[in-house]
Amino acid sequence: MVHVHDPRVRWGVPAAQVVRIAAAADWLTGPAVDVLAALGPLPRTDTRRVVVVRGAGDRETALLATGMIDISDVNATDILPLPEALAASAPEISAIVVAHDASLSLLFQPSAVISPDDSALREEPCPSR
Amino acid sequence: MRSFVPITIHSTWVAIDMATVKEIGGPLTWIALPTASAVLPGVAAWRGRAVTVADLAALLDAGERLASPTSRVRTLYLQHGTSTLAVPVDAVREPLVIADDDIRPPRVRTDMFCLGEVDVEGHTTLVIDLGMLLPGYRPPAAASVPD
Repeated sequence: MVHVHDPRVRWGVPAAQVVRIAAAADWLTGPAVDVLAALGPLPRTDTRRVVVVRGAGDRETALLATGMIDISDVNATDILPLPEALAASAPEISAIVVAHDASLSLLFQPSAVISPDDSALREEPCPSR
Repeated sequence: MRSFVPITIHSTWVAIDMATVKEIGGPLTWIALPTASAVLPGVAAWRGRAVTVADLAALLDAGERLASPTSRVRTLYLQHGTSTLAVPVDAVREPLVIADDDIRPPRVRTDMFCLGEVDVEGHTTLVIDLGMLLPGYRPPAAASVPD
């Protein structure tokens, strides 16, 4: 799993779905997604990167990553699916991950992350109309 | 007659049906969800699964909200059907046995989750059913309070 130690909340994505990690400035395809935007603004930092994942529609989506990034193995028993009461309101988060020190991180499901490009596509009028 | 656990959140007194309390623990480690509400702001790990965290301060508009990953001194783990709620609180008092007749209809608040009021140690105490916060929850018949 690729973990991002964002000062707001630690989060991660399955390593198998990560295409590459790059400097944010090198991602020119479109706007990158801040998956924690609802928790507050992106922390200021000198080094901002993107974790490029295979997202919705098998397209590459860039997730803004602030903070240290590490790759580690996670036991399946430490991945806990979200409770039913919250799963519907957070479809892009599939589970929480319990670390060895009992701290927690959010596990994002790249295929469910909506990028600004996806939003634009959804708002396009039907061509037949 | 039913048993209730009186708890306090800031200066607000609340009573919770003892039958729903599965465990009373220490401070909770939890994580905020970006799209969650103020009342159900995140999740915690408990007994090998993720459980929903409920913030009574947000629910009752009673003081400072929870801020991940810090919590309060005590945590109640409540079972409502198949769902579990982790509820950080400031203090937990000795359980009390209260006759249904001693529970008055709620006056301080009339929210769905308020079942009534009772006096505990001279404090007006809200009897609440936090299961009402969960989608699809059906309260047990015994929890209803006569008018």
